[in-house]
Amino acid sequence: MSSGDSESGGGFNLFDAEERVLAAAARLQRRLTNADPDTRQGVEALTEAYSRSVREQRRLVKVSDRLQNQLANLNQELGKRRAEAEEALAQLKETQETLVQAEKLASLGALVGGVAHEINTPVGIALSCASHLADSTKRLAALFEADDIGVEDFQAYLATATDTARLIQANCERAAALIGSFKQVAVDRTSSERRNFELAGYIAETLSSLSPKLRQNGHKVVIDCPAGIEMDGYPGALSQVLTNLVLNSATHGYDLGQSGTLRIAVEQPAPDQIRLVYSDDGKGIPEEYRNRVFDPFFTTRRGQGGTGLGLHILYNLVTGPMQGTVAMESESGGGTRFVLTFPRLIADKS
Amino acid sequence: MDHLKIAATDRSPDVDFDFEAGVFSLKGESYPEDASTVFGPIFAALDRFFSSADIRELRFDFDLIYFNSSSAKALMNMFQMMENAAGRGTKVVVNWHYAADDETMKEFGEDFSEDLENVTFNLVPSSSAA
Repeated sequence: MSSGDSESGGGFNLFDAEERVLAAAARLQRRLTNADPDTRQGVEALTEAYSRSVREQRRLVKVSDRLQNQLANLNQELGKRRAEAEEALAQLKETQETLVQAEKLASLGALVGGVAHEINTPVGIALSCASHLADSTKRLAALFEADDIGVEDFQAYLATATDTARLIQANCERAAALIGSFKQVAVDRTSSERRNFELAGYIAETLSSLSPKLRQNGHKVVIDCPAGIEMDGYPGALSQVLTNLVLNSATHGYDLGQSGTLRIAVEQPAPDQIRLVYSDDGKGIPEEYRNRVFDPFFTTRRGQGGTGLGLHILYNLVTGPMQGTVAMESESGGGTRFVLTFPRLIADKS
Repeated sequence: MDHLKIAATDRSPDVDFDFEAGVFSLKGESYPEDASTVFGPIFAALDRFFSSADIRELRFDFDLIYFNSSSAKALMNMFQMMENAAGRGTKVVVNWHYAADDETMKEFGEDFSEDLENVTFNLVPSSSAA
C-alpha cells in the first residue's frame, strides 16, 4: 500500500473518526477563549464527556475482544476435547467388543475344562482295567508256556477278564455318552446355529458340563422342567445363558466353603411361551448393585478375575438371539432370582 | 487500483475487493488477535479508493458468520465511509448475508443499517448450509 495517505497516518486506528471529532472540539475550545463563560464551560464539559465516552468505548472494545478471544479459544479446546472423547469412546467400544468375545471364549474354556475333568474318570478306569487285563494275560501266557497252568489259574483269569472287560465297556460307553452331549453343547456354543432342540434335555446337558465346577463347592442343582418342550432357536445362546447364571452364583452367591442349591424352574404360561426362573439361595445382590448388574464391566471383583461381562452377555443373548426379556429379583440375604421369558419358537428375522 | 484479495484464516475473513468493477466482499469469521493486521490494509485501500475514484456504483457483500467487537467497530467505520460516498452521489448497495437461523447476525445488520440514510441496505437470509 502507498504511504501517501494522510488520514490514516500510516497506522490503523479504529477510533480515527472519534479522534478527529475530539481534535475539532479542542480547536473549537481554543476559539472560544473569548466567548461567554457559560458557553465555554458548556463546550468544555461536553468535550470532556465525549472524550470519556470514547475512552470507555475503547476499553469496552478491548475487554469484549479479549472475552471473545477467550471464548474462541475455549470453543477450539472444546472441539478438540470432544474429538478426543469421541475417539476414546470408539476405542472403548472396540475394546468392549473384544472383551465380550474373550469372555465368551473364556467360558468356552471353562466348559472344555469341565469336559476334560468329567471324561477323565471313565477313561482312567478303563485304562487301569485294560492294563490289569494285560498283566493277567501275560501271567497266564507265562504259565501256559511253562506248561504249568492249573484249572484255578484259568478260572481266576476268566473272572478277571470278565470283570475288566465289563468295566472297560461300561466306562468307555460312559465316556462316549459324555463326549456326545458335550460335543453338542460345544458346537452350539461356538456356532450360532439355529435348530430344533428339546428344552429339558438341553438344560440337563448344559448343567452336566458344569457339574465338576459345582461339585467342587458342594452346590446342588435342581432342574424342574417339563419334558417334551420342543424349541426352535439358538441352543448355544441358552447354554451360554445358563452357564453364566450358574457361574455367577458360584462366584458371587456363596462364601467360601458355603454350599447351596441352584434351581432352574421352567413353566409354559402359554403354548409358545417359556418362562425360566433361575434362582439360588445365596447371599443375594446388595440393593445398590441391582440396577447395574447387566451393565458392561460392572463387577465387584475387579482384579480378582471378574470382567463384569457375564451378566451383560446374558442380557444381550436373552434380548437378542433368544428374543426374550430378563429381570433380576434379589433380596439381601435372600438369594437371587432371574426371570427369563422367551418364545418357544423364535421369529424369523425381518 | 489493484484488485485486493486476502485469503481467509480461521480468525480473519476472506477479502475480495474488485475496485475496477466496484464490487467488494468480506466473507467468513473475524476475530483477529490484532485488528490492525486485518483492517489496516482494508482501510488503507478504501481510503485511497474513496478519495481518488470517480465512482458511480458500488456493491458490498458482507457474508460474516462471526465477528468480535473490534471488527464490529471497523465495520461501522466502513459503513460510515460508504454513507459519506453515497451522500456525495455514489450509488451504494450493501448486501448483508446471514444464515436464516442466525437471529444475532440479522440484528447486527439491522443495527448497522439504522445509521445509513443514503446507502441501500439489503438483509439477505441464506439457507443455513454453511
